[in-house]
Amino acid sequence: MSHKWAMVVDLDRCTGCEACVVACHAENNIPTVGGDQAARGRAMHWIRVERYWEGDFPNPRVRFQPVLCQQCDDAPCESVCPTYASYHTSEGLNGQAYNRCIGTRFCANACPYSVRFFNFFDPKWDKPLNLQLNPDVSLRSVGVMEKCTFCVQRIKSAEIQAEAEKRELKDGEFTTACAQSCASKALVFGDMNDPHSEVSRLASSNRSSKLLGELGTKPSVTYLERGTWQDANNA
Amino acid sequence: MGWLKWLLLIVFAVTCACALVKAVSRPHAGQTDLPAYVTSGVFTTAHPTAFLAAKDFLDFHPEHPVQPIAFTHAVHLAKGLQCEFCHAGVDQGPDARIPGVAVCMACHQVIATDRPEIKKIAAYAARGEDIPWVRVYAYSDSAHVKFNHAPHIRAHIQCASCHGDMTKQTTAERKINLNMGYCIDCHRQKRVSIDCATCHY
Repeated sequence: MSHKWAMVVDLDRCTGCEACVVACHAENNIPTVGGDQAARGRAMHWIRVERYWEGDFPNPRVRFQPVLCQQCDDAPCESVCPTYASYHTSEGLNGQAYNRCIGTRFCANACPYSVRFFNFFDPKWDKPLNLQLNPDVSLRSVGVMEKCTFCVQRIKSAEIQAEAEKRELKDGEFTTACAQSCASKALVFGDMNDPHSEVSRLASSNRSSKLLGELGTKPSVTYLERGTWQDANNA
Repeated sequence: MGWLKWLLLIVFAVTCACALVKAVSRPHAGQTDLPAYVTSGVFTTAHPTAFLAAKDFLDFHPEHPVQPIAFTHAVHLAKGLQCEFCHAGVDQGPDARIPGVAVCMACHQVIATDRPEIKKIAAYAARGEDIPWVRVYAYSDSAHVKFNHAPHIRAHIQCASCHGDMTKQTTAERKINLNMGYCIDCHRQKRVSIDCATCHY
C-alpha cells in the first residue's frame, strides 16, 4: 500500500516555543542570512511560528500558528514551474528537484502560504558550524528555491530500512524533525493512508480545519483548534 | 554525435568571446557596485565555474587517479577475496567504505612483508596514520545525489555493473561514467522508481 504523508498541527497545544524551527534548521541545513537581509525578506525558515494577538491590554491572548509547506494535493506551486522542478511525488509530497530549478521564483509567488524560499546567497557556515551539517540533506546553492520536504531524507531512510527487513513501512516508525522536537506534541506526523495512524485519528476530529481551505489547494497539513463558539460556551 | 559536441563547443566559445569583448568595451566596466547576490561568482547552479561546465560537457574526468599505494585489485580478487571484505558495510549503508590501514595490516602483518608497497603500508601503520586514498567515484555536491549502496546490493546488482571489471584493474579506474542516464537506464530496466526524489533531495 502506498503512503500518504500528512501532518496534524494542534493549535490548542502549541506554546510557540519555536523548538520546531530550530530543529528544522539543524536537520535540513537551512542557512541564515543575517539581520539586514532578513529585513529584506530573504530569511529562510521552512517552518515558522506565526503570532497573533487577540484582545486588548488588560486581557490580551496570544495565539500561535506553526506554518510549514502544506504539501498540497492541488498545489499552486507545481503548475507554474516552467522546468518541472516543483512536482508531485507518488507519495503526495510537493517535491523540489534542486538540479532542475532555474530560480524563476514563480512557485514562491504562487504559494498562498509563503513557505517557499529563494536562495539569494550561497550557503555559508562559519567554522566550526560547518561540522554540524546533515550529510543526508543537500546544500542548496544560490539561485534555487527550497522548501519543507517533510524530511524526505528520513522517509527514504525508513523505507530503505523497512525494505532491508522485508516488511511494510509502518506509521510511527519515524517522524519529522519538527514533530520529534515538539515538546507539547502539537505536531504529529504520519501516514494518512493508514486508518489506524494517529494523524488519521486526529485529522477526523471535529476541531480540524485546513489553512486557507477555501482556496481548494487540498493541503496535507490539518490544523486543530477549538472554535470560538466553544470558547463562548466554556466562558 | 561527436561532431555535434564540438560544434556546440565552438558556438559556446564564440559566444563567450563576444560577451568578453562587450564587457571590456563597456564604459566604466568593473566600477559598478553590485550586491553580492548578483556577483556571486557562480556560473550555474550545477557548475560553479565555466571550466567545470566545459569539462563535464566534454565528459572529461580523471579516469585513473594516482593512489599513494599501488594497490592491485586484480591480485587480491584472484586470491579469492570478496569486495565486501575490504569495502565493508557496502550491504548495510550508503557508503562502501574505503579500507583503513588496519584492514590492510590484518593480513600484511605476515603476508608479503618484504615488498616495497607493503613496507609503505607498514610505515603508515607504524606512524599511526591512515592511507590517503584518492576517491575515484564520487558525485559532486551540485549533483544533489543521495546514492545508497545497500539497496543495490540487496537487489543483486553486481559491483562490476557500475565499477567495471575490477579483476583486470590495479588501482581503481573510473571505467564507467556514472551519469544520470546510466542510473535511469538501469532503473527503467528493473522497473524501479525513477521519481526525482528517489535520489535527489
